[in-house]
Amino acid sequence: MTAFSDKDRTATTGPRMPLTRPITAITLLASLCATFSGALAFDETKYPDWKGAWRRVAVPGITGQPSYDPTKRNGLEQQAPLTPEYQAIFLENLKDQAAGGQGTDPTYTCLSPGMPRVMTTFTPFEILVTPQMTNFLIQHIHDSRRIFTDGREWPKTIPPTFVGYSIGRWIDTDGDGRFDTLEVETRGLKGPRSFDPAGLPLASDNKSTFKERFYSDKADPNVLYDEITTIDSALTRPWTVTKQYARLPVKQPQWTEEVCTEGNNDLEIGGQGFFRSADGFLMPTKKDQPPPDLRHFKP
Amino acid sequence: MRLQGLVGAAVVAALLSLPCQVFLSCQAWAFDDTLYPDLTGQWVRADASPAFDPAKPPGRGQQAPLTAEYQAKFDAIVADRAKRQLTDVLSTNCIAPGMPMLMQAYEPMQITVLPETTYILIDHIHETHRRIFTDGRSWPKAVEPTFTGYTIGKWIDTDGDGRFDVLEAETRHFKGPRFFDGSGIPLHEDDETVVRERISLDKSDRNLLHDEITVTDHALTRPWTVTKTYRRNSDPLVDWPEFICNEQLPYIRLGDEDYRLAEDGQLAPTRPGQPAPDLRYFAPAKK
Repeated sequence: MTAFSDKDRTATTGPRMPLTRPITAITLLASLCATFSGALAFDETKYPDWKGAWRRVAVPGITGQPSYDPTKRNGLEQQAPLTPEYQAIFLENLKDQAAGGQGTDPTYTCLSPGMPRVMTTFTPFEILVTPQMTNFLIQHIHDSRRIFTDGREWPKTIPPTFVGYSIGRWIDTDGDGRFDTLEVETRGLKGPRSFDPAGLPLASDNKSTFKERFYSDKADPNVLYDEITTIDSALTRPWTVTKQYARLPVKQPQWTEEVCTEGNNDLEIGGQGFFRSADGFLMPTKKDQPPPDLRHFKP
Repeated sequence: MRLQGLVGAAVVAALLSLPCQVFLSCQAWAFDDTLYPDLTGQWVRADASPAFDPAKPPGRGQQAPLTAEYQAKFDAIVADRAKRQLTDVLSTNCIAPGMPMLMQAYEPMQITVLPETTYILIDHIHETHRRIFTDGRSWPKAVEPTFTGYTIGKWIDTDGDGRFDVLEAETRHFKGPRFFDGSGIPLHEDDETVVRERISLDKSDRNLLHDEITVTDHALTRPWTVTKTYRRNSDPLVDWPEFICNEQLPYIRLGDEDYRLAEDGQLAPTRPGQPAPDLRYFAPAKK
């Protein structure tokens, strides 16, 4: 990738001209400005302006918890192309959730939702674009991402994480000299992860790969899209959905601080979900759920 | 010709007084990052001690200028921590450390300087997004309190070389409970803390960063100033670890009791003779 070559940095540098007429002065000043701009290490005008606070756009008529494919409701309506094995896991999960359990949604104890679920963005988020890296600051459970755009190759080993390791590339799709699209690939995942709160599962081998294209709406720069394609062993084919975000019309957004563990009373003991009551006692989450095994306590 | 020259000079003078951004070709001046210190890379704590004042021993060795009331609270925290065999005050709950404790940088720190905001990102216990607003804003009338606080900063060119070298920041609007460090030195529960900082690169080693932190708090008899130092890892391929606090949290609190999760994932006592949790909300086992 040559997004920041010296050629790019000096592309707008103009020639020096003698000061003989006012028009010449204007030209000189303009070209001086351009010359100085050539010294910049970071010419942010080459990138789309994605500053500000972005929020998920809800699709009218799609009710309930935010779904992975935003054009369809959570659960079976997603019509995820699951393999028979993972379709069975998903159905079992739905039964467990209907009974009060958490099923295969792993985030109830404040584990990171990971990719691709973090891009559902439950709270307003911010995008920091610099030449080497684009950060997505998503304050929810543990949802933020680093996308390296410094031209690196894939490392030989990647310590697995819930959000994965992302390498991106800026593209100038319309040839106007400015980048307009960020292409990203993410690998190196860990689990458990689900696509959404309904527990739509990703494969336990964590070999997911995600390919994304971020771009602004051509007619409205305050609308951003993330086209996400998931390749995963739980799926029979790559699954592509497009998320839409809108920029909040505020100059100074009020950024919230989400501390998941603060006030979270969902607990996991021995692989089972429990609840901590308001008076501090352990409670079942499902009817007739047995209490945890207390073998480590002496009678 | 003379008149032409005068007109030309006047036009130039007028144009020079205009912001350069009026010219299309000057759009690139929107952000001249060469005016700011280069804070890119990964910063890790250079101080050997994670105590609030890295120059002094931890715990009571910090000689924190606490009021008598808060010294007594600190003594009680130390005693309770010893009784429960806890290494630090945050190890049982994964609650955000908040300011000023988060600047101990237990995990690597990213600093991104943009014209309107300087960002300090630290992924430890809580995924901290510290925003230091440098856009000249005033203090808002109402701010939702947070563990991290609301920070306004100002870049200063202290040596007049035309480049900023110090970021002055002031942080207010906190929530709690917060501690200075893991030993449990408390900040006042009124959360009226004010933290002032001067963040700057070392003059002789550009891979060292200093943060001079002054805390004014009602738990203290006077403002308490310490200096923290961080070292840059310039390797662009350096690993950024993901710290999921709850993934490794071995404790569960029920009422006033902390329990441990044993290797088999089941509840276990944290001290000899600790009674099993009360299971009053479970149906009695059928015989």
